[in-house]
This record gives sequence, C-alpha cells and structure tokens, in this order.
Amino acid sequence: MRDVDVTVIVTVVESPASLVLLYEEFSKPLAASGRSFEFIFAAHPLFRPLTDALAPLVAKGAPIRVIDVGQSVGETVLLRLAAGSARGRAVVTLPAYRQVEAKTLPALLAQLDGGADVAVAWRSPRIDSFVNRAQNRILHWTLGTLVRDRIHDVACGVRAIRPEVLAELPLYGDFARFLPLLALRDGWRVDEVASAVHPDAMKGRLYGPGVYLRRLIDVLGLLFLLRFTEKPLRFFGLVGTFLAAPGGVILFVVFLQRLGGQGAADRPVVLLGVLLLVLGVQLIALGLIGEMIVHLTASRRRGYRLRGQKSGPERTGAESGSG
Amino acid sequence: MPDQTRYPTLTHLEDAPALSVVAPLYNEEENVAPLVEAVRAALADHPSWELVLVDDGSRDRTAELVAAQAAADPRVRLVQLARNYGQTQATQAGFDAARGAVLVGMDGDLQNDPTEIPRLVAKLDEGYDLVAGYRLNRQDKLVSRKLPSWVANRIIRAITRVDVRDNGCSLKAYRRETIQRMHLYSDMHRFLPALAAATAGARITEIPVRHHARRFGKSKYGASRILKILADLLTLTWIAWFRERPLRLFGLAGTIASAFAALFGASWVFSALVAQSLERPWGYVLPGCALLWLVLAFYLLMLGFIGEVVLRRAREESPELLPLAFERKS
Repeated sequence: MRDVDVTVIVTVVESPASLVLLYEEFSKPLAASGRSFEFIFAAHPLFRPLTDALAPLVAKGAPIRVIDVGQSVGETVLLRLAAGSARGRAVVTLPAYRQVEAKTLPALLAQLDGGADVAVAWRSPRIDSFVNRAQNRILHWTLGTLVRDRIHDVACGVRAIRPEVLAELPLYGDFARFLPLLALRDGWRVDEVASAVHPDAMKGRLYGPGVYLRRLIDVLGLLFLLRFTEKPLRFFGLVGTFLAAPGGVILFVVFLQRLGGQGAADRPVVLLGVLLLVLGVQLIALGLIGEMIVHLTASRRRGYRLRGQKSGPERTGAESGSG
Repeated sequence: MPDQTRYPTLTHLEDAPALSVVAPLYNEEENVAPLVEAVRAALADHPSWELVLVDDGSRDRTAELVAAQAAADPRVRLVQLARNYGQTQATQAGFDAARGAVLVGMDGDLQNDPTEIPRLVAKLDEGYDLVAGYRLNRQDKLVSRKLPSWVANRIIRAITRVDVRDNGCSLKAYRRETIQRMHLYSDMHRFLPALAAATAGARITEIPVRHHARRFGKSKYGASRILKILADLLTLTWIAWFRERPLRLFGLAGTIASAFAALFGASWVFSALVAQSLERPWGYVLPGCALLWLVLAFYLLMLGFIGEVVLRRAREESPELLPLAFERKS
C-alpha cells in the first residue's frame, strides 16, 4: 500500500536530540514542497522516553508512527522494520540527530524524481572539528582503496531511496551504514546532493575508541561482502599461502641442514615453521568450506541483476534478483 | 525454497525455439550489427533459433544497438545487466534467458565463426551433452594471449582430468539439461567443460573451429590471471571430488596431520631416551611441534563435520538434480 509520497524513517540509536523538535524541523520543508508524508520513528528500547514524548503530536493528528522493538537491535534492523511498514512511494532515512539542513530533503526527493534510485546527501562544505575531518578523510581513503568507492560522504545518514531498491539491498549486520555502496554494487543509480551542514552538527562530536574498532570491523566486513562472497577461497587461500609458504620454506631449509648433519630438534625455528604451516593449512581449509557453501547455494541465487529485456517472453521481463 | 520468480528460469516454453545462441557483449558497439548478420546468415537454413545478446553493462551504445536489432528481428533478444558483472555472470544471465533445447555459447567479438554452429549442434546430436570448439590457427598475440592460455589449459587438464584442449574458446554447444545442472559464479566461465563434467557428469567431446582476428574493438582480457585460475581450480577439484563427502577429504588431511604429530612425538621420545633427559631444547621443540600438528588434525576433523552439516542443509533445501544419465537401447 503506497498511499503517501514520502516515508521518512528515523532510526533512533545514538545520542538523539528531541524527536519532537526534529519532526517539526524536518517536516516543514516536506509540507512546503506539497508532498504528502509520514514519519516512522524506530527506536532502540533505550530511547523509549523520547518516542513517548511524540504522543501529544500523534494525538494532534501528525502523520507519525512509532515502532517499538523489545530487543536491543542496531540501526540496520530498525531500518528494515520501518521499511517493512513504510507506505511512501519514496523513503527517506534520517538519523535522529541533525547532520544537514532540513531543506536537503526536497532536494533529495527531486533527484529521485529525476530518475535516481538512491540520492544521498553529501555534507559540503564540510564544517566540523579538525579531528572529525581527519577521521573522515581516513575513512574515505580506506573505503576508496579497499572497495573502490566513489561516494564522497558515506557517513551521512540522510538518504532518499526508492522502496523497491531498499527491499533488494542486502541489509544485514551493520551494512545500513554503507547503503550507497551496496546500491552501487548492484548497479543502481546513486546520485549525490551537496548539502549544507546543519548548524547543530558543527559543534563536533567525539567518539570513544570502541567506535573506531567497530568501524574498522565494518569496513573489513564490507570489503569481504563486496569482493569475496562469491570466491572465499581467493581470500583465505591468499592469506593462507602467505602464512604457509614461509613456514614451508623454513622447514625445508632446516630439513636440508639436517641432511647436512646439523641438528634440528634443538632449534626453536622449527616450531615457528610448523606453526605457520598449520595456520596456513587451517585458513585454506576454511576457504574450501566457504567455497562449498557458495557452490551449494549457487543454484538458488544469481549474482547479477537485470536492467531489462527486449523481445523476450513477457514472463521474464521483470527485473531479476540480485545476489 | 528457491525463489523462482526473481530471475528468468530455464523453463521450456510452447513457442520456444530449438536453438539458442548466447553471446555476452561488453563495449562491442562495432560488432553488434556484423554479429547479428553473421549469425543470421549462418543459421539461414535452421528452422527455429534465437540469438540472446547479453549487454554486460557496456558504457558505449551496445545495448541501444542490440535493442534496435531486437525490434527489427524478433529472433534477436536483448538481456541487459544492471552493471558490468563480468563474463561469467553475463553468460549465466544469457543461459537463464535462453529458451532453446540446445544452447550455443560464443564470444561477442566475432572471433568465433558462427558458421561453425550447425557443426557443433550436429555433433551434439551424435550423443553428447557438451561439444567444445577448439581454435585452429588461433589469431591472437603469442606472448600476451596464446602462451598464458597454453599454460592454463595444461594446468586445467592436469587437475580436472577433463580432456578439453582449449577451455578459453567460448564456442560450445550444450544440451539444456547440462546447463540446468551447472551454475556459474565467480570466474567459472573458464572451466565450463570441467564444471559440466564435475556437476552434471556430462559426456564431452570437442571439434576444431575456425578463429578470426579481432576486427573491431579491444580485447578485455589481461595476462595476470594465473593466480586466480589456480584458486578457482582448487575449488573446482574440491567440488568435483568431495562435494558429496567433505568429511572424507578433511578426515584424510587430518590423518596426515596426525601422522606428522606421531613422527615428532616419536622423535621426542627417542631423543629423550638417548639423552636420558627432557631438559635439553628438544624438550620443547619436538613435543611443541607434535602438539601443533595434533591441533591441526583435530581442527580439520571438526571442519569436516561442519562440511557435512552444510551439505545436508543445502540438500534438504534444494534437492540436487540427478546427473545426466542415458538408458542404453539394446
């Protein structure tokens, strides 16, 4: 049932500002642009008091829906829950804090009207503390190197997306963060919209070391998803060979020296050689199990997505699933 | 359950043609019209065929030109991928869309000669599941193309034991049943015969085909493929030999590791007896090595069990098609 123009999904997972103020600020430009809209707030259980504060607005008839989750879940799950009941012909995701100015929303939606599948806000010019800008540089340099990304501002959570596209993306784990990259990988058109930074966001936020560790793991997970999910052995085999090969060389040299009369049993380097060899074999064996999973599920999924067909039977004219 | 609605399936249709020719195209705008023309001329005597052209996310006008050809001749069909996925996925997309009882794959660059198609199909009718073409007088550069290809084919043959001398030649004919039993992913288009033998038990033969130098466009291959090919070959060998019994390979590997553990353990005991002491360095080097090998043996055995779990779950969810089989007429 798609009976409104826009569904704005607000996932409340970290240090949210007042949701009432957020709604009032971001609904204004939507109303002004003449689009019908609804807001869905999906909140981590920790932030229930904040969603409770929306009750008076709901009572007054504001198009607000609140999704309560009993479990402690992340942003990606909240997004999927909200997307499942979204009624909009377009979906906008909005973090619960202010990243960009509210007038960005109509600009993103205009981009969808122009044929984009995903439109993402790009904070430009970036006004932030020096530390945060440096972090941002590092993140995008890493992404650019590892996954050949061309998105300028992955960390900005303000995005407009067609609901059909959202439903097809592999959103699990913490991958909602990298939504534009996943969309690009599946061949969707992703447009960037330069947007002014919200005055509130200029104060600069500080993150604990745990956040960096999680980001690093996220990026590694993304790298694996984008590059190796179809060929796990190439990854495990490479790393395994790098471990096993030096191990094998060490043992071979020691073996030759042993033939030459030098003792081997009292040399700790033998331990190192065996250790490396064992680790390498373990990794390659893991890769084989990975390949087995890929092979056994290959008949049920396709690694490509169709843009369309011409002159085929009607039945196959639909766009195909992606892997 | 397999979701059959999400991609075009290999279902035989009432009005389906007898023969489907499938060619992936990537930035081949100059080759579209000559290719269609050549196939049309080659199959002029054939009663019912279709040409499935897969546009693999080309950045030039390939898709547009194929669409125009399709509009003019209903036997030509365009399958357009959302982005550039590579030859394996493009080929699979073409096979998925093809409706014929016999499928012929070929390159989109006109280096394969379409006039060979009837010969391939005729050979298939003699009772084969896959007929591979091998290129006579291959018209490519020696060092950058032919030499790596020769090495790769040697390795592929040695490892897969499938006697096809030219895996790189795309011109091949398949029975639909063969294609239904194999699923292309990663870079498997290089090993189609080996994959067909491994997963479908296909009866394979080969015939020589003519090969032309590239007239238009550029080659999309690089020479640095050999490492990837090796990894894929290991995969293929693994699939061919052990996909029905993963525990057997892992159990075997675990046994070898245990043997090493026993070897190091025995030499430790021997050294200790000779020296009458455990205090010397071999007091930790040898038992340490023995323990590491033991850990590996245990780990491999456990992985084998995981493999069995994976296999069982996969088979419960989607029963495998039985291998190709034939009842002999006496």
